[in-house]
Order: sequence, then structure tokens, then C-alpha cells
Amino acid sequence: MPVVYVLIGLLAGITACAIARRRTVHKVGSVDLGIQVQTVATPIAPGPAQTELEPVRFVLDALPIGVVYADAAGTVVVRNRMALHAAGARHGDILVDEAVGVLLKAALQGQERRQTLELFGPPARVLLIHAQRAEAGGAIATISDITERARLDAVRTDFVANISHELKTPVGALSILAETLADCDDPDVVARLSGKIVREAERLTLTIEDLLELSRIELGGDANREELSAEKVLEDAADRVRGLAERRHIKVVIDDTDPTLSVVGDRRQLVSALGNLVDNAVKYSEMDSSVELRAHLEGDRVLFTVSDHGMGIGSQHLDRIFERFYRVDRARSRDTGGVGLGLAIVRHVAANHGGEVKVTSQEGEGSTFTLSIPVASGLVSVRQSDDVMSAAG
Amino acid sequence: MTELRKSFHTELAEVHAELMRVGAQVIEAIPRATRILLDMDLEGADYMIQGDDEIDARCIDVEEHCYRILALQAPVASDLRAVITALKMTAELERSGDLTVNICKAARRIYGHEMNPKLRGIIAKMSEQAQQLFANAMEAYDESDPAKAAALDDMDNYLDGLQRQFIQVIFESHASGSIDLQVAVQLGVVARFYERIGDHAVNIGEKVRFLVNGWMPEHIGAVRHRLRQDPTPFAGMPIPGESDRHQDD
Repeated sequence: MPVVYVLIGLLAGITACAIARRRTVHKVGSVDLGIQVQTVATPIAPGPAQTELEPVRFVLDALPIGVVYADAAGTVVVRNRMALHAAGARHGDILVDEAVGVLLKAALQGQERRQTLELFGPPARVLLIHAQRAEAGGAIATISDITERARLDAVRTDFVANISHELKTPVGALSILAETLADCDDPDVVARLSGKIVREAERLTLTIEDLLELSRIELGGDANREELSAEKVLEDAADRVRGLAERRHIKVVIDDTDPTLSVVGDRRQLVSALGNLVDNAVKYSEMDSSVELRAHLEGDRVLFTVSDHGMGIGSQHLDRIFERFYRVDRARSRDTGGVGLGLAIVRHVAANHGGEVKVTSQEGEGSTFTLSIPVASGLVSVRQSDDVMSAAG
Repeated sequence: MTELRKSFHTELAEVHAELMRVGAQVIEAIPRATRILLDMDLEGADYMIQGDDEIDARCIDVEEHCYRILALQAPVASDLRAVITALKMTAELERSGDLTVNICKAARRIYGHEMNPKLRGIIAKMSEQAQQLFANAMEAYDESDPAKAAALDDMDNYLDGLQRQFIQVIFESHASGSIDLQVAVQLGVVARFYERIGDHAVNIGEKVRFLVNGWMPEHIGAVRHRLRQDPTPFAGMPIPGESDRHQDD
């Protein structure tokens, strides 16, 4: 990863030098450069120097980072496309522009400055702005989108905290229970404590089993591809939570699914992934509500959707819930009994099948998870067109 | 003379740009305050409460800049309207910034009390809608677009509807014992903060319509008043920007 940043830095440096050199050689002003304040993409009537510099403009606009260059007087002469739209929202771009202005001013006075700008958006972005004096005079600022890097940092930190939480809690409980048991003569207490020990041990076993399952799926080696009926896959997944659903008076219904729709994949993995989704849907639903399962064809993908009418997930958690051990509400996680690996498994199953999993959710209204799997080898489309033919005839 | 006018328009553009920047800060502050409220982030709340001083200071600067323009340049017609609009907008922006701070203060007051998902969901929706309204209002100002400004009213109705829905959920949550009276009252106030942010956005929209064609919401009331006093056919006429006027509000 650092290599990439070094590369980007180099590129920025090179372009900055290129611009500076151009300026001295041709003695052209900002207009001739064709890159003006706010009008990067708007072509100005080309003069001879202009056409020659056109490639520089394209190169600048193609950069994945924002570049802003101000001359020694502090006037912004160059602003590439990314610098104009770094925040992805109009008000965000104004804030970025302001921050860049402040940093450029400091850079012109010889202070190299960095600032991390965290924008709530939407879209939420983390931007790193770096300004320094340019060798040829003036100052140059770069704007890099480090949203993904910031997210991965959070993932790494949280993963260590979460895995130790999930593994250490039952182990800690076990040792305390065992210690208490060692000094205890009362048969009632002994029975209660040993019952608890068994439950904690079971919980630990479950965590480890899920971890093993996850790493098996991550390796993705023994996937057994076959043609599966989408409806059957949904039915098998629903069967896995039948008991829990009945206890909580939740109806699990499969609606609107074409019985002839099929998909190529590993049965065990797909049922496990969808089973996890249905399991979550049932766990986080209100009593007496329903969970809807559905499969349909969209383009060259089969979309499996699992919708519930439960508590929903806050928007700040949506891009994190597929991580291993990530918990929306850690305090409640022990009540629902999961170990926090279910959605990570779903994501890996999706990846193994060349598909993806998505979620939309509104707190207090419910969530919809969509697992989309590409229809392999055209089996489905052939069958579908057969249906159309027979229906027409 | 030309040189003087040039500097005048540069000054107007500066005021406009600064208002857009302060507006951007407010637009950004709305979801930030909501996150603080939903996560009960006390540190973030303190940070934002202090940050509001900057918005206040900048609003005062813009205001003084406007007075300076008025005193030194004595603008007329649309130039005068531009300065007056800017002056009035500072008040709307400053107040909206305060409202985001109020949301953070409410977060401190209800700290430690859990909110159920229904309440959280509607808070998130009110926040989105208020932010959208405010962003549209600032866009309307940026583009001097009276049509966009006039559309804010309908968006605000949706926000008002959300507020009513939220109050209903507060009653239900309190009745079922999921939140206590203290939290219920605080949340009722929070709903009002979002609703007020929406109202300020609508006000900004009205300022934009005034800027472009001299329309003011008070005109409609004034016409009604004149008609009541003298119900002859032409008594209420004329008012500026009549074609742009709503039927009844």
C-alpha cells in the first residue's frame, strides 16, 4: 500500500514540475495552459501553445488525486478535475476548497502542511490534503481520498479487539466458574455451575466452528459446482431456522420465486450463506412479524433477497457489518447468541461465486439483504427462453 | 468609475462565496450532530459546541462587510437586494448553526438513556431531510434559482410530517415504558430543532426569491389586509413578482 502512495506522490511531483517547466519555457500564463480556476474540463479556444499543452490537461484530469497549484502571488492557476469534485457533494467540495486555500497559503510561506478532512457527506469521505511549496515557485496541494484506508484501519483495530472479546469472554467465564466450582460443596450450586460451564464451552465451540467454516470458505477450494433450483436453496435455508422462527412467531415466507429459476453454485455454501441471512432476519425481527425470501433474475444474475421488519441497522454500521466479529450493538450480542461471523461467511460465499452481497436498511423499519450470484454457463437463460416460447405457442 | 464598480462586484462575490462556505459548514454540521446524538458521543458534542463559535464569528464578519458595502457603495436595485439578502441570510445561517449545537446539547442531556430503533430511524430520516432542504436552499442561492427556492416549501412539508410521526412514536415509546418522561420531553425538543432547521432553509429560499424578483412572503398577507380594508377590485394591486406567487400561503 505505501508503494502506491509514494507513486502517487511522485506523479504529483512530476506533473508539478512539468507544469512549472512548461511555464518557463513557453512563458505562457494560466489561460494558455488551458487549466483555469474552476474550468478544468471546459476547453478554451485552442491556440498553438494550447494544443501542445492539451495532453498535460488530460493527464492532470485523469489523476486519481486532486492537484491544486497556486502561483507565488497565491492565485490558483491549476485545479484538476479530481480537485473540483473530491468530496462528491457540492457543499463538501466548498469545504475542501476552503481547506486547500488555507493550506496553500501556509505552504507559500514555507510551511509544509497536512490536514485530514473528515466529511459526513453524503457521501462520507476522509480526505488527506497535503500542501507544500513548489520548487519552481508557488505552492502545490494534493487531495487524496483515504476513505477506504481509514476504514481498513478501523477494521484492523476493531478486529483484534473483537476477536479477543469473543474468545476471551467464554474462556474467562470458564476459568472463574471452574475456580468457584473447586471450592464448592453444595450439590445445587455445583449443578448450576457445571451447567453454565457446559453452555460457555458450547459457545466457544460454536465460535471456533464458525471460524473454521469461514476459513474453509475463504480458501474456497472444495467448492462443488452444480445446478441448483433457486427455490430449493431458499427452502433449505428457511428450514434451518424453522424452530427459532416458530418460537418467536415469525412467518418465514418464500414469495414470488420462479420455480424453474436455477443457479450454478455450491449447495452447502449457498444454503449456509442464505441460512445465515434468514437466521439474522428472524433473530432481529419483532415477534409476530414476517421474513420474506425471494429469488429473481436480473440481467445475468440471480438475486436472492431476505427482508425483515425488525430493528434495522444504523447507516454508520452498514459498510462494516460484513467484517468478522463486527457488532452493531456489542451489549446485545450475547442475547442473540451469534458469534459475529455470519455475515462474514455470507460475503465470502458471495465472493467465491463471483457475486456480491448488499444491504439496505432503515432503523426501526427493517433490513433487506441481497445476495447476487451470476448465472453461470447460460443454463438459466436458455431455460427461460424455452418458457417464453412455450408460453407464446 | 469602472474600477470602482469592479471592486464593488468583487466584494459582492466575496460575500456570496463566504456565505456559501458558512452554508457548507452548516450542511455538514447537520449529519454530524445527528451522529453525535445517536451515538451519545460526548466528546464530539463538546467539539461541535465549540466549533459553532466559528460560524458565529464568520456570520458577524459577513454582516459587517455588508454594512460596509451599504455605507460606502450605496447600491441600488438588484445590487441593493443582493446585499440585503446576504445580510438576512447571515441570521438564518447563524441560527441554523445554533440548532445543530442544540441537538448536541440534547445528546448530553439524554446521555445514558437508550433509544429504540424506531426513534433512531426517524431521527436519521429527519436529519437527512433537513440536510437535503438546507443543501437545496444553498444551491438555490448559489444559482439564484427562484424555482428551486419555491420548491423548498413542499420538501419542508415532508419534514413537518416526519416531526409529527416522531412525536407519535415518542408517545408510544413512553407509553410502552421504553423511554422515561425526561427523555421523551428532550426528544420532543430535538424534533423541533430539525423542524426549525427546515424552516430556516425555507426562509433562505424566500430570500432567494426576493433577491431575484423582489418577492416577499409578507406580500401575500399585505394584499389580504388591503383587500379586507378596501374590497374594490384593484385595491390589493400591484405587488412585485406576482406571477411567481403561491395561490395561498
